[in-house]
Amino acid sequence: MLAWLASMSSDERRPVPAGPGDGAVLAGEQAYAMAGAVPLLLDQDFDSGTLYALRAAAQAHAIEAGLAEDRTDDLVISVHELAANAVRHGAGRGRLRMWKRAGALHFQVEDGGSRATAGQAACGGEEAGPEAGRENAKAADEGPESGGNVADHWPFLPGHGLWLVRLVSDQITVSSGPDGTRATVVFTLSPEDSSASSPD
Amino acid sequence: MPEYRVVVSIEGGSPVPVSAHTQVTDLSVDDHACLTFGEQEELLDLTAAFVRDGLDSGFRVVVLSDTPQLAVAKLGWREIVTESAVAAGQMVMVASQDALIGPQGFSAEQAIGWLRAQLAESRRQGYAGIRVALDMSWALRPMTGIEELPALEEEIASAVGGAGMSVLCGYDRERFDPVTLALIAPFHSHSVAAATYHDDPVLRICRQYVPPGIRLAGEMDFLAADALALALGEAIRIDGDIAINMANLSFIDASSVRMIMEAVTSLDPSRTVVLRCPPSVEARFVQLGADRLPHVSLAGVDEQ
Repeated sequence: MLAWLASMSSDERRPVPAGPGDGAVLAGEQAYAMAGAVPLLLDQDFDSGTLYALRAAAQAHAIEAGLAEDRTDDLVISVHELAANAVRHGAGRGRLRMWKRAGALHFQVEDGGSRATAGQAACGGEEAGPEAGRENAKAADEGPESGGNVADHWPFLPGHGLWLVRLVSDQITVSSGPDGTRATVVFTLSPEDSSASSPD
Repeated sequence: MPEYRVVVSIEGGSPVPVSAHTQVTDLSVDDHACLTFGEQEELLDLTAAFVRDGLDSGFRVVVLSDTPQLAVAKLGWREIVTESAVAAGQMVMVASQDALIGPQGFSAEQAIGWLRAQLAESRRQGYAGIRVALDMSWALRPMTGIEELPALEEEIASAVGGAGMSVLCGYDRERFDPVTLALIAPFHSHSVAAATYHDDPVLRICRQYVPPGIRLAGEMDFLAADALALALGEAIRIDGDIAINMANLSFIDASSVRMIMEAVTSLDPSRTVVLRCPPSVEARFVQLGADRLPHVSLAGVDEQ
Protein backbone atom coordinates (compact mmCIF):
# COMPACT_ATOMS: atom_id res chain seq x y z
CA MET A 1 0.00 0.00 0.00
CA LEU A 2 1.39 3.31 -1.04
CA ALA A 3 0.73 5.09 2.22
CA TRP A 4 2.41 2.33 4.08
CA LEU A 5 5.51 2.41 1.88
CA ALA A 6 5.73 6.13 2.33
CA SER A 7 5.74 5.67 6.05
CA MET A 8 8.39 2.97 5.92
CA SER A 9 10.68 4.95 3.71
CA SER A 10 10.41 7.99 5.92
CA ASP A 11 11.49 5.75 8.77
CA GLU A 12 14.53 4.67 6.87
CA ARG A 13 15.47 8.16 5.83
CA ARG A 14 15.47 9.44 9.32
CA PRO A 15 18.19 8.87 11.86
CA VAL A 16 16.71 7.16 14.85
CA PRO A 17 16.86 9.66 17.64
CA ALA A 18 16.24 7.31 20.51
CA GLY A 19 19.82 6.47 21.23
CA PRO A 20 22.61 4.05 20.46
CA GLY A 21 22.20 0.91 18.48
CA ASP A 22 19.43 -0.02 16.15
CA GLY A 23 16.40 1.94 17.24
CA ALA A 24 14.06 -0.35 15.37
CA VAL A 25 14.74 -3.19 17.80
CA LEU A 26 15.14 -1.06 20.89
CA ALA A 27 12.81 -2.57 23.42
CA GLY A 28 10.42 -0.42 25.39
CA GLU A 29 12.14 -1.45 28.59
CA GLN A 30 15.44 -0.06 27.40
CA ALA A 31 13.83 3.08 26.09
CA TYR A 32 12.27 3.78 29.41
CA ALA A 33 15.50 3.05 31.29
CA MET A 34 17.16 5.63 29.11
CA ALA A 35 14.37 8.02 29.81
CA GLY A 36 15.34 7.96 33.44
CA ALA A 37 18.06 10.42 32.56
CA VAL A 38 15.59 13.03 31.35
CA PRO A 39 12.64 14.54 33.19
CA LEU A 40 9.24 13.18 32.30
CA LEU A 41 6.96 15.73 30.67
CA LEU A 42 3.92 13.70 31.52
CA ASP A 43 3.15 10.72 33.70
CA GLN A 44 -0.53 9.96 33.78
CA ASP A 45 -2.65 6.92 34.56
CA PHE A 46 -5.73 6.31 32.47
CA ASP A 47 -8.77 4.14 32.14
CA SER A 48 -11.78 4.29 29.86
CA GLY A 49 -13.18 7.26 31.77
CA THR A 50 -10.08 9.39 31.40
CA LEU A 51 -9.09 8.89 27.76
CA TYR A 52 -10.43 12.33 26.94
CA ALA A 53 -8.24 13.93 29.61
CA LEU A 54 -5.30 11.83 28.45
CA ARG A 55 -5.65 13.11 24.89
CA ALA A 56 -5.93 16.69 26.11
CA ALA A 57 -2.79 16.35 28.24
CA ALA A 58 -0.82 14.68 25.44
CA GLN A 59 -1.86 17.40 23.01
CA ALA A 60 -0.88 20.20 25.38
CA HIS A 61 2.55 18.71 26.03
CA ALA A 62 3.21 17.95 22.38
CA ILE A 63 2.46 21.55 21.43
CA GLU A 64 4.56 22.79 24.32
CA ALA A 65 7.44 20.58 23.15
CA GLY A 66 7.32 22.21 19.74
CA LEU A 67 5.67 19.54 17.64
CA ALA A 68 3.95 20.91 14.53
CA GLU A 69 0.15 21.07 14.53
CA ASP A 70 -0.51 18.17 12.16
CA ARG A 71 2.15 16.07 13.88
CA THR A 72 0.50 16.85 17.19
CA ASP A 73 -2.74 15.47 15.78
CA ASP A 74 -0.78 12.36 14.78
CA LEU A 75 0.70 12.06 18.26
CA VAL A 76 -2.70 12.44 19.90
CA ILE A 77 -4.24 9.69 17.76
CA SER A 78 -1.22 7.47 18.54
CA VAL A 79 -1.57 8.01 22.27
CA HIS A 80 -5.28 7.36 22.03
CA GLU A 81 -5.04 4.18 19.96
CA LEU A 82 -2.44 2.61 22.24
CA ALA A 83 -4.33 3.66 25.37
CA ALA A 84 -7.59 2.45 23.86
CA ASN A 85 -5.93 -0.87 23.12
CA ALA A 86 -4.89 -1.16 26.78
CA VAL A 87 -8.40 -0.23 27.91
CA ARG A 88 -10.19 -2.57 25.55
CA HIS A 89 -7.85 -5.52 25.32
CA GLY A 90 -5.46 -5.15 28.26
CA ALA A 91 -6.18 -4.56 31.90
CA GLY A 92 -8.73 -1.84 31.23
CA ARG A 93 -6.31 0.83 32.39
CA GLY A 94 -2.73 1.89 31.90
CA ARG A 95 -0.11 4.57 32.20
CA LEU A 96 1.27 7.12 29.77
CA ARG A 97 4.69 8.66 30.12
CA MET A 98 6.16 11.22 27.78
CA TRP A 99 9.61 12.68 27.55
CA LYS A 100 11.73 14.70 25.20
CA ARG A 101 15.15 13.45 24.22
CA ALA A 102 17.64 14.01 21.43
CA GLY A 103 15.37 16.08 19.25
CA ALA A 104 12.42 13.77 19.55
CA LEU A 105 9.30 13.38 21.60
CA HIS A 106 8.93 9.90 23.07
CA PHE A 107 5.95 8.43 24.77
CA GLN A 108 5.28 5.09 26.29
CA VAL A 109 1.97 3.41 26.99
CA GLU A 110 1.88 0.59 29.51
CA ASP A 111 -1.21 -1.54 29.54
CA GLY A 112 -1.11 -1.97 33.30
CA GLY A 113 -0.70 -5.69 33.45
CA SER A 114 -3.15 -7.85 31.74
CA ARG A 115 -6.15 -9.87 31.21
CA ALA A 116 -3.90 -10.89 28.36
CA THR A 117 -0.47 -9.93 27.20
CA ALA A 118 -0.62 -7.47 24.40
CA GLY A 119 0.81 -9.79 21.82
CA GLN A 120 -2.00 -12.20 22.45
CA ALA A 121 -4.67 -9.70 23.19
CA ALA A 122 -3.96 -7.83 20.04
CA CYS A 123 -4.10 -10.98 17.96
CA GLY A 124 -7.84 -11.02 18.06
CA GLY A 125 -8.33 -7.89 20.01
CA GLU A 126 -7.86 -4.95 17.74
CA GLU A 127 -11.09 -5.37 15.91
CA ALA A 128 -12.96 -7.58 18.27
CA GLY A 129 -15.25 -6.51 21.04
CA PRO A 130 -15.43 -7.51 24.68
CA GLU A 131 -16.22 -11.13 23.89
CA ALA A 132 -12.95 -11.58 22.10
CA GLY A 133 -11.26 -9.84 25.01
CA ARG A 134 -12.49 -12.56 27.30
CA GLU A 135 -11.19 -15.22 24.99
CA ASN A 136 -7.84 -13.54 25.04
CA ALA A 137 -7.91 -13.50 28.80
CA LYS A 138 -8.15 -17.26 28.69
CA ALA A 139 -5.24 -17.37 26.33
CA ALA A 140 -3.19 -15.40 28.83
CA ASP A 141 -3.22 -18.34 31.21
CA GLU A 142 -1.07 -20.20 28.79
CA GLY A 143 1.75 -17.89 29.70
CA PRO A 144 3.01 -14.52 28.57
CA GLU A 145 5.42 -14.01 25.79
CA SER A 146 8.98 -13.32 26.72
CA GLY A 147 10.40 -9.79 26.51
CA GLY A 148 11.91 -8.11 23.52
CA ASN A 149 10.31 -6.18 20.74
CA VAL A 150 7.07 -7.92 19.99
CA ALA A 151 5.88 -5.23 17.62
CA ASP A 152 6.41 -7.67 14.80
CA HIS A 153 3.85 -9.99 16.35
CA TRP A 154 1.23 -7.33 16.69
CA PRO A 155 -1.42 -7.56 14.07
CA PHE A 156 -1.04 -4.26 12.31
CA LEU A 157 -4.25 -4.77 10.40
CA PRO A 158 -4.63 -2.17 7.71
CA GLY A 159 -7.17 0.38 8.81
CA HIS A 160 -6.90 -0.44 12.48
CA GLY A 161 -5.60 1.56 15.40
CA LEU A 162 -2.15 0.03 15.83
CA TRP A 163 -1.59 0.14 12.10
CA LEU A 164 -2.45 3.82 12.19
CA VAL A 165 0.09 4.40 14.98
CA ARG A 166 2.79 2.77 12.90
CA LEU A 167 1.74 4.82 9.90
CA VAL A 168 1.84 8.23 11.53
CA SER A 169 4.71 7.81 14.02
CA ASP A 170 8.41 7.79 13.29
CA GLN A 171 9.03 4.64 15.28
CA ILE A 172 7.16 2.20 17.44
CA THR A 173 8.65 -0.53 19.60
CA VAL A 174 6.70 -2.91 21.74
CA SER A 175 7.91 -5.10 24.56
CA SER A 176 5.83 -7.61 26.41
CA GLY A 177 6.40 -9.40 29.67
CA PRO A 178 4.66 -10.73 32.77
CA ASP A 179 3.72 -7.20 33.82
CA GLY A 180 2.02 -6.44 30.57
CA THR A 181 3.01 -4.59 27.47
CA ARG A 182 4.88 -1.39 26.82
CA ALA A 183 4.65 0.41 23.53
CA THR A 184 7.17 3.18 22.97
CA VAL A 185 6.59 5.65 20.19
CA VAL A 186 8.89 8.32 18.81
CA PHE A 187 7.98 11.54 17.04
CA THR A 188 10.97 13.50 15.81
CA LEU A 189 10.84 17.22 16.38
CA SER A 190 12.87 18.45 13.42
CA PRO A 191 10.88 20.93 11.30
CA GLU A 192 10.99 18.97 8.04
CA ASP A 193 9.17 16.10 9.71
CA SER A 194 6.06 18.11 10.12
CA SER A 195 5.18 17.37 6.51
CA ALA A 196 6.65 13.89 6.20
CA SER A 197 3.90 12.01 7.96
CA SER A 198 1.18 12.54 5.41
CA PRO A 199 0.88 9.53 3.18
CA ASP A 200 -0.16 11.62 0.22
CA MET B 1 -19.84 3.93 31.68
CA PRO B 2 -16.89 6.21 32.26
CA GLU B 3 -17.67 9.05 34.59
CA TYR B 4 -17.32 11.97 32.23
CA ARG B 5 -19.83 10.56 29.81
CA VAL B 6 -22.71 10.58 32.22
CA VAL B 7 -22.24 14.07 33.58
CA VAL B 8 -25.34 16.15 32.92
CA SER B 9 -24.63 19.82 32.56
CA ILE B 10 -26.84 22.00 34.73
CA GLU B 11 -26.86 24.85 32.24
CA GLY B 12 -28.59 22.69 29.70
CA GLY B 13 -27.26 20.15 27.27
CA SER B 14 -28.87 17.36 29.16
CA PRO B 15 -29.62 14.29 27.10
CA VAL B 16 -32.68 14.88 24.97
CA PRO B 17 -34.92 11.90 24.56
CA VAL B 18 -36.16 11.83 21.01
CA SER B 19 -39.69 10.91 21.96
CA ALA B 20 -40.23 14.03 24.07
CA HIS B 21 -39.97 16.25 21.03
CA THR B 22 -41.71 16.82 17.77
CA GLN B 23 -39.50 16.42 14.74
CA VAL B 24 -39.13 19.69 12.90
CA THR B 25 -40.30 17.97 9.73
CA ASP B 26 -43.64 17.17 11.37
CA LEU B 27 -44.65 20.78 11.96
CA SER B 28 -47.68 22.07 10.08
CA VAL B 29 -49.78 25.20 9.82
CA ASP B 30 -50.94 26.89 13.02
CA ASP B 31 -48.05 25.41 15.00
CA HIS B 32 -46.09 27.57 17.38
CA ALA B 33 -42.96 25.58 18.07
CA CYS B 34 -40.17 26.11 20.53
CA LEU B 35 -36.89 24.95 19.08
CA THR B 36 -34.09 24.48 21.58
CA PHE B 37 -30.62 24.01 20.22
CA GLY B 38 -27.18 23.37 21.63
CA GLU B 39 -25.00 24.74 18.87
CA GLN B 40 -25.35 27.12 15.94
CA GLU B 41 -25.10 24.30 13.40
CA GLU B 42 -28.15 22.71 14.95
CA LEU B 43 -30.21 25.91 14.75
CA LEU B 44 -29.25 26.36 11.11
CA ASP B 45 -30.01 22.75 10.29
CA LEU B 46 -33.45 22.73 11.89
CA THR B 47 -34.25 26.15 10.47
CA ALA B 48 -33.19 24.87 7.06
CA ALA B 49 -35.61 21.96 7.30
CA PHE B 50 -38.42 24.29 8.39
CA VAL B 51 -37.64 26.68 5.54
CA ARG B 52 -37.32 23.93 2.93
CA ASP B 53 -40.65 22.35 3.86
CA GLY B 54 -42.31 25.77 3.82
CA LEU B 55 -40.96 26.65 0.39
CA ASP B 56 -41.91 23.21 -0.92
CA SER B 57 -45.48 23.76 0.32
CA GLY B 58 -45.67 27.06 -1.54
CA PHE B 59 -45.79 29.13 1.63
CA ARG B 60 -44.15 32.46 2.16
CA VAL B 61 -41.17 32.05 4.48
CA VAL B 62 -39.79 34.75 6.76
CA VAL B 63 -36.51 34.17 8.56
CA LEU B 64 -35.48 36.52 11.32
CA SER B 65 -31.85 36.52 12.33
CA ASP B 66 -29.24 38.80 13.85
CA THR B 67 -27.20 38.44 10.66
CA PRO B 68 -29.61 37.86 7.74
CA GLN B 69 -26.96 37.93 5.00
CA LEU B 70 -24.92 35.29 6.75
CA ALA B 71 -28.03 33.22 7.31
CA VAL B 72 -28.84 33.28 3.59
CA ALA B 73 -25.34 32.03 2.80
CA LYS B 74 -25.43 29.33 5.41
CA LEU B 75 -28.87 28.12 4.44
CA GLY B 76 -27.70 28.16 0.83
CA TRP B 77 -24.88 25.82 1.75
CA ARG B 78 -27.57 23.41 2.88
CA GLU B 79 -28.80 23.06 -0.65
CA ILE B 80 -31.90 25.12 -0.12
CA VAL B 81 -32.54 27.49 -2.96
CA THR B 82 -32.58 30.48 -0.65
CA GLU B 83 -31.21 33.04 -3.06
CA SER B 84 -33.70 32.34 -5.79
CA ALA B 85 -36.52 32.19 -3.23
CA VAL B 86 -35.42 35.53 -1.86
CA ALA B 87 -35.21 36.95 -5.39
CA ALA B 88 -38.71 35.68 -6.13
CA GLY B 89 -40.05 37.23 -2.94
CA GLN B 90 -41.23 33.91 -1.51
CA MET B 91 -38.58 34.11 1.15
CA VAL B 92 -37.72 37.15 3.24
CA MET B 93 -34.70 37.53 5.47
CA VAL B 94 -35.11 40.12 8.20
CA ALA B 95 -32.70 41.47 10.78
CA SER B 96 -34.11 41.12 14.28
CA GLN B 97 -32.96 44.65 14.98
CA ASP B 98 -35.31 45.96 12.26
CA ALA B 99 -38.31 43.84 13.08
CA LEU B 100 -38.72 43.35 16.79
CA ILE B 101 -36.70 46.05 18.44
CA GLY B 102 -37.65 49.70 18.28
CA PRO B 103 -35.75 52.82 19.26
CA GLN B 104 -37.12 52.54 22.79
CA GLY B 105 -36.10 48.92 23.10
CA PHE B 106 -38.28 45.87 22.91
CA SER B 107 -42.03 45.84 23.29
CA ALA B 108 -44.27 42.84 22.81
CA GLU B 109 -46.88 45.05 21.18
CA GLN B 110 -44.53 46.29 18.50
CA ALA B 111 -43.14 42.82 17.87
CA ILE B 112 -46.53 41.19 17.49
CA GLY B 113 -47.54 44.09 15.24
CA TRP B 114 -44.63 43.21 12.94
CA LEU B 115 -45.65 39.56 12.90
CA ARG B 116 -49.29 40.32 12.08
CA ALA B 117 -48.10 42.63 9.29
CA GLN B 118 -46.07 39.73 7.85
CA LEU B 119 -49.16 37.53 7.94
CA ALA B 120 -51.29 40.20 6.25
CA GLU B 121 -48.63 40.74 3.59
CA SER B 122 -48.43 37.06 2.71
CA ARG B 123 -52.21 36.90 2.41
CA ARG B 124 -52.21 39.99 0.23
CA GLN B 125 -49.68 38.31 -2.03
CA GLY B 126 -51.90 35.24 -2.26
CA TYR B 127 -49.78 32.75 -0.38
CA ALA B 128 -51.64 29.82 1.17
CA GLY B 129 -49.67 30.12 4.35
CA ILE B 130 -46.64 31.60 6.03
CA ARG B 131 -43.78 30.16 8.02
CA VAL B 132 -41.79 32.37 10.32
CA ALA B 133 -38.49 31.27 11.83
CA LEU B 134 -37.31 33.48 14.67
CA ASP B 135 -33.77 33.17 15.97
CA MET B 136 -34.38 34.48 19.48
CA SER B 137 -30.72 35.26 20.19
CA TRP B 138 -31.55 38.98 20.11
CA ALA B 139 -33.34 38.50 23.43
CA LEU B 140 -30.04 37.67 25.11
CA ARG B 141 -28.91 41.24 24.74
CA PRO B 142 -29.64 43.55 27.64
CA MET B 143 -32.39 45.90 26.53
CA THR B 144 -35.36 47.80 27.81
CA GLY B 145 -38.59 45.85 27.82
CA ILE B 146 -37.11 42.39 27.55
CA GLU B 147 -39.33 41.29 30.44
CA GLU B 148 -42.17 41.35 27.89
CA LEU B 149 -40.71 38.33 26.10
CA PRO B 150 -43.24 35.88 27.61
CA ALA B 151 -46.00 38.30 26.61
CA LEU B 152 -44.77 38.18 23.01
CA GLU B 153 -44.81 34.39 23.03
CA GLU B 154 -48.34 34.43 24.45
CA GLU B 155 -49.43 36.84 21.70
CA ILE B 156 -47.86 34.62 19.04
CA ALA B 157 -49.72 31.63 20.45
CA SER B 158 -53.03 33.41 19.97
CA ALA B 159 -52.03 34.81 16.57
CA VAL B 160 -51.25 31.45 14.94
CA GLY B 161 -54.63 29.89 15.69
CA GLY B 162 -56.40 29.27 12.40
CA ALA B 163 -54.30 31.91 10.65
CA GLY B 164 -52.38 29.63 8.31
CA MET B 165 -49.21 30.71 10.02
CA SER B 166 -46.61 28.62 11.81
CA VAL B 167 -43.84 30.10 13.91
CA LEU B 168 -40.60 28.46 14.98
CA CYS B 169 -38.86 30.20 17.88
CA GLY B 170 -35.22 29.19 18.29
CA TYR B 171 -33.73 29.34 21.78
CA ASP B 172 -30.13 28.50 22.60
CA ARG B 173 -30.52 26.18 25.57
CA GLU B 174 -26.96 26.83 26.70
CA ARG B 175 -27.34 30.60 26.81
CA PHE B 176 -30.91 31.23 27.88
CA ASP B 177 -31.44 30.71 31.57
CA PRO B 178 -33.75 27.90 32.66
CA VAL B 179 -36.23 30.36 34.21
CA THR B 180 -36.75 32.19 30.92
CA LEU B 181 -37.08 28.91 29.03
CA ALA B 182 -39.61 27.67 31.58
CA LEU B 183 -41.58 30.91 31.25
CA ILE B 184 -41.85 30.87 27.48
CA ALA B 185 -42.21 27.11 26.93
CA PRO B 186 -45.92 26.81 27.87
CA PHE B 187 -46.96 29.22 25.12
CA HIS B 188 -45.67 26.85 22.44
CA SER B 189 -47.73 24.05 20.96
CA HIS B 190 -44.65 21.94 20.19
CA SER B 191 -41.18 21.43 21.47
CA VAL B 192 -38.66 20.77 18.74
CA ALA B 193 -35.09 19.53 19.00
CA ALA B 194 -32.76 17.55 16.82
CA ALA B 195 -33.01 13.80 17.27
CA THR B 196 -30.05 13.15 19.53
CA TYR B 197 -28.17 9.90 19.82
CA HIS B 198 -25.50 10.98 22.27
CA ASP B 199 -25.05 14.14 24.29
CA ASP B 200 -22.47 14.82 26.95
CA PRO B 201 -19.78 17.46 27.48
CA VAL B 202 -17.35 15.59 25.22
CA LEU B 203 -19.52 14.52 22.30
CA ARG B 204 -22.82 15.23 20.65
CA ILE B 205 -24.30 13.04 17.92
CA CYS B 206 -27.48 14.34 16.27
CA ARG B 207 -29.51 13.72 13.21
CA GLN B 208 -28.90 16.29 10.50
CA TYR B 209 -32.02 17.21 8.57
CA VAL B 210 -30.67 19.25 5.68
CA PRO B 211 -28.83 17.74 3.92
CA PRO B 212 -29.94 14.46 5.49
CA GLY B 213 -27.43 12.60 7.58
CA ILE B 214 -25.82 12.92 10.96
CA ARG B 215 -23.76 15.51 12.76
CA LEU B 216 -20.91 14.81 15.15
CA ALA B 217 -19.47 17.52 17.39
CA GLY B 218 -16.74 17.26 20.01
CA GLU B 219 -14.51 14.19 20.22
CA MET B 220 -15.60 10.82 18.87
CA ASP B 221 -14.09 7.56 20.12
CA PHE B 222 -15.06 3.93 20.64
CA LEU B 223 -16.79 4.68 23.95
CA ALA B 224 -19.71 6.11 21.98
CA ALA B 225 -19.69 3.36 19.36
CA ASP B 226 -23.25 2.26 20.15
CA ALA B 227 -24.65 5.75 19.62
CA LEU B 228 -22.71 6.16 16.38
CA ALA B 229 -23.94 2.80 15.13
CA LEU B 230 -27.54 3.79 15.89
CA ALA B 231 -27.15 7.16 14.17
CA LEU B 232 -25.52 5.63 11.10
CA GLY B 233 -28.16 2.92 10.97
CA GLU B 234 -30.95 5.47 10.89
CA ALA B 235 -29.17 7.61 8.31
CA ILE B 236 -28.71 4.61 6.05
CA ARG B 237 -32.36 3.59 6.28
CA ILE B 238 -33.41 6.98 4.94
CA ASP B 239 -33.25 7.05 1.15
CA GLY B 240 -30.85 9.12 -0.83
CA ASP B 241 -27.48 10.68 -0.34
CA ILE B 242 -26.00 11.07 3.10
CA ALA B 243 -24.02 13.88 4.67
CA ILE B 244 -21.90 13.28 7.72
CA ASN B 245 -21.20 16.69 9.18
CA MET B 246 -18.09 16.65 11.35
CA ALA B 247 -17.38 20.38 11.05
CA ASN B 248 -17.20 20.72 14.82
CA LEU B 249 -15.47 17.43 15.50
CA SER B 250 -11.90 17.82 16.76
CA PHE B 251 -10.97 14.17 17.21
CA ILE B 252 -11.98 10.80 15.81
CA ASP B 253 -10.39 7.45 16.52
CA ALA B 254 -9.65 4.61 14.13
CA SER B 255 -12.52 2.41 15.22
CA SER B 256 -15.05 5.20 14.62
CA VAL B 257 -13.59 5.98 11.20
CA ARG B 258 -13.80 2.29 10.39
CA MET B 259 -17.41 2.11 11.54
CA ILE B 260 -18.34 5.03 9.30
CA MET B 261 -16.45 3.52 6.36
CA GLU B 262 -18.13 0.16 6.85
CA ALA B 263 -21.54 1.83 6.91
CA VAL B 264 -20.67 3.76 3.76
CA THR B 265 -19.36 0.65 2.03
CA SER B 266 -22.63 -1.14 2.72
CA LEU B 267 -24.60 1.46 0.77
CA ASP B 268 -25.80 1.05 -2.74
CA PRO B 269 -23.13 2.68 -4.93
CA SER B 270 -25.76 5.01 -6.39
CA ARG B 271 -25.94 6.78 -3.05
CA THR B 272 -23.22 9.30 -2.40
CA VAL B 273 -21.78 10.23 0.94
CA VAL B 274 -20.23 13.56 1.82
CA LEU B 275 -17.87 13.60 4.79
CA ARG B 276 -17.53 17.21 5.88
CA CYS B 277 -14.58 17.52 8.21
CA PRO B 278 -11.81 19.78 9.50
CA PRO B 279 -8.21 18.88 8.52
CA SER B 280 -7.37 16.83 11.62
CA VAL B 281 -10.39 14.60 11.06
CA GLU B 282 -9.96 14.46 7.29
CA ALA B 283 -6.39 13.19 7.82
CA ARG B 284 -7.73 10.10 9.60
CA PHE B 285 -10.21 9.32 6.85
CA VAL B 286 -7.51 9.68 4.22
CA GLN B 287 -5.02 7.57 6.15
CA LEU B 288 -7.60 4.86 6.56
CA GLY B 289 -8.53 4.93 2.88
CA ALA B 290 -11.91 6.66 2.77
CA ASP B 291 -10.79 8.81 -0.15
CA ARG B 292 -10.47 5.65 -2.25
CA LEU B 293 -14.12 4.67 -1.79
CA PRO B 294 -15.84 5.50 -5.06
CA HIS B 295 -19.03 7.14 -3.81
CA VAL B 296 -17.47 9.10 -0.97
CA SER B 297 -16.34 12.68 -1.16
CA LEU B 298 -14.39 14.52 1.50
CA ALA B 299 -15.36 18.14 1.94
CA GLY B 300 -13.64 20.76 4.01
CA VAL B 301 -15.31 23.07 6.46
CA ASP B 302 -16.14 26.41 4.95
CA GLU B 303 -14.88 29.28 7.04
CA GLN B 304 -17.70 31.77 7.02
